[in-house]
Amino acid sequence: MTAEGGVQYSKIAEIKGPLVVVDDVESAAFDELVEIETLEGERRLGKVLEVGNGKAIVQVFEGTTGLSISGTKAKFVGKVMEMPVSKEVLGRVFDGLGRPKDGLPDPIADKFVDINGEPMNPEQREYPKDFIQTGVSVIDGLMTLVRGQKLPIFSGSGMSHNLLAAQIARQASVVGKQDDFAVVFAAIGVQYSEAEYFRRSLEESGALKRSVLFLNTADDPAIERIITPRVALTVAEYLAFDLGMHVLVVITDMTNYAEALREISAAREEVPGRKGYPGYLYTDLSTLYERAGKLDGRKGSVTQVPILSMPSDDITHPIPDLTGYITEGQIVVGRDLFRQGVYPPINILSSLSRLMKDGIGEGSTRDDHSEVSNQVYDAYSRAQEVRALAGIVGKAGLTEIDLKYMDVGDTFEKEFLTQATDENRTIEETLALMWKIVSKLPKNEITKIKDKHVEKYYKEEE
Amino acid sequence: MDKCHPLANLALEQTIDKILNQTQKEIESSIDSALNDSQQTLDDAIPKLDQEYDKIIADGKKEADKIEKQIIGSADIKARNKQLLALEASVDKVFTKALDEITNNDRSGDYANLIKSLLDESIRILGTSEVIVSTNSKDRDVVQSTLSGFPGSELSSDTVECIGGVIIKSKDGAMTFDNTLDARIERLKPLIRKDIAAKFGVNN
Repeated sequence: MTAEGGVQYSKIAEIKGPLVVVDDVESAAFDELVEIETLEGERRLGKVLEVGNGKAIVQVFEGTTGLSISGTKAKFVGKVMEMPVSKEVLGRVFDGLGRPKDGLPDPIADKFVDINGEPMNPEQREYPKDFIQTGVSVIDGLMTLVRGQKLPIFSGSGMSHNLLAAQIARQASVVGKQDDFAVVFAAIGVQYSEAEYFRRSLEESGALKRSVLFLNTADDPAIERIITPRVALTVAEYLAFDLGMHVLVVITDMTNYAEALREISAAREEVPGRKGYPGYLYTDLSTLYERAGKLDGRKGSVTQVPILSMPSDDITHPIPDLTGYITEGQIVVGRDLFRQGVYPPINILSSLSRLMKDGIGEGSTRDDHSEVSNQVYDAYSRAQEVRALAGIVGKAGLTEIDLKYMDVGDTFEKEFLTQATDENRTIEETLALMWKIVSKLPKNEITKIKDKHVEKYYKEEE
Repeated sequence: MDKCHPLANLALEQTIDKILNQTQKEIESSIDSALNDSQQTLDDAIPKLDQEYDKIIADGKKEADKIEKQIIGSADIKARNKQLLALEASVDKVFTKALDEITNNDRSGDYANLIKSLLDESIRILGTSEVIVSTNSKDRDVVQSTLSGFPGSELSSDTVECIGGVIIKSKDGAMTFDNTLDARIERLKPLIRKDIAAKFGVNN
């Protein structure tokens, strides 16, 4: 940071959607921060999207409503957007651009960091393999999250993904090491009531002191949404790699982010890709998701749980589709389970954590975890087939073993999957429930678990 | 009616006794069995009760831990927030005092050099020497005399509200550069706040 400021230009050539075209600009840089001053003296922030031929295209984060060509001035600040970071940001609530929203002063900065982050050297990345306990059985047991992983939640409009996100943020911990764990929560385009719920829920659970919240509500300018995940990840990286904390970043809802990107792309008259999203949507999303990870020789880690609502519950929609290419698995929230009143309504058959195998087992969870998890997947899958069959031939037409699988399906949904929003289950409790489900099957149906584990944990029903 | 034969009576009595004995045995056996069953049920129930007891204790402990975390977390946040507000009030006081001192500072001596370096910097950044310079009424004389070294520049007849320094505008009005002390302090404010906070013993 220097005392040298930027030049203010007063020739505005055009205002188009969220973009302002400034004329006669001599020295602007790509991504440079711009302060737009209105005729009334109001200041808005923006950044340079394009420079050349004496023009600069500026994207105004707070929108261009009320701006006029005459009287508007654009000051090129001479630096990219930076986020002031320090340990003091923990327990604070910021808006989508990183400004305090809790009535407290700006945090006293330890340093100012470019919000675009620094790409991690792939050679220095450390393979993620340490278990994070979320306290949600279905995640911990069947699609385990590990430190440094990026595991998105694919949901649909109106479903309980925000409840789940808040629960994960409240309960997540690294077992046995609570002190160096932090949660960064970025809400993008959520309703005011949801934003308030997140804030209150963390405050009331005592988790706020280890959390940082960035709240961009639905009535905040859409363009701000481009910045929100970036400031959140910048803070997360600082906490992880400068202060050595294990940071869980929950971002909801990435669909709103992608829509803001589409709005800018349309205003720039770029050639649209699928569903009008820009052709670089994949690249853009990867600049966010790839900021998760662990580095060799550094203590901390950044783990990401981005949440996105699939338009029309369509998993082939460009946002979940492209997200799935970048992330390491997905947690899919199912409409059918949601309609049945199950919480969390996670459809395990479409969900997967690609890094789970490295984060579970002896030394991290328990040696039987992988096998019992496979058996539960298998049994629930079979239960679904049996349910479909029962729909055709009726329950009377089912064999005794089919009926047992149906019972397994019911127990799975009622006792294992269903969980109160404030219920924090330990991994031991989760594994015990998984064994309870498996124990509903006769021993000869247990084909995925070693005998020694069956002998130890299988409890035949009386 | 004929009287019963005494032997028949005896046989009947024996049968009745036999039935009574048998019934008594059955009842006793049934009582024993019920007692055993009850004992068994009781024995079976004890581990279940123990389990239930342990579960209630564990749940209670979990709930107590949760409440403890809530209370401690909330108290920590409140204390930290009070500290932040107190620190900010102190930082503001230091700022106000420093700004007062700068405002009332004597404009002689090195101040002309400061104005010269501000003009140099501004003209370099704007990329043109054809500029109009504005300042406050207090600095007007110093700026006027310094401008003789900057051909192409002229002093605006209007003054601006600031504690010192200059605002430079290109003559075509397209570019402006604010190099007032106010603007410079504003740009460096986060770093100055950090230094002040460090003096109060707050280090990140």
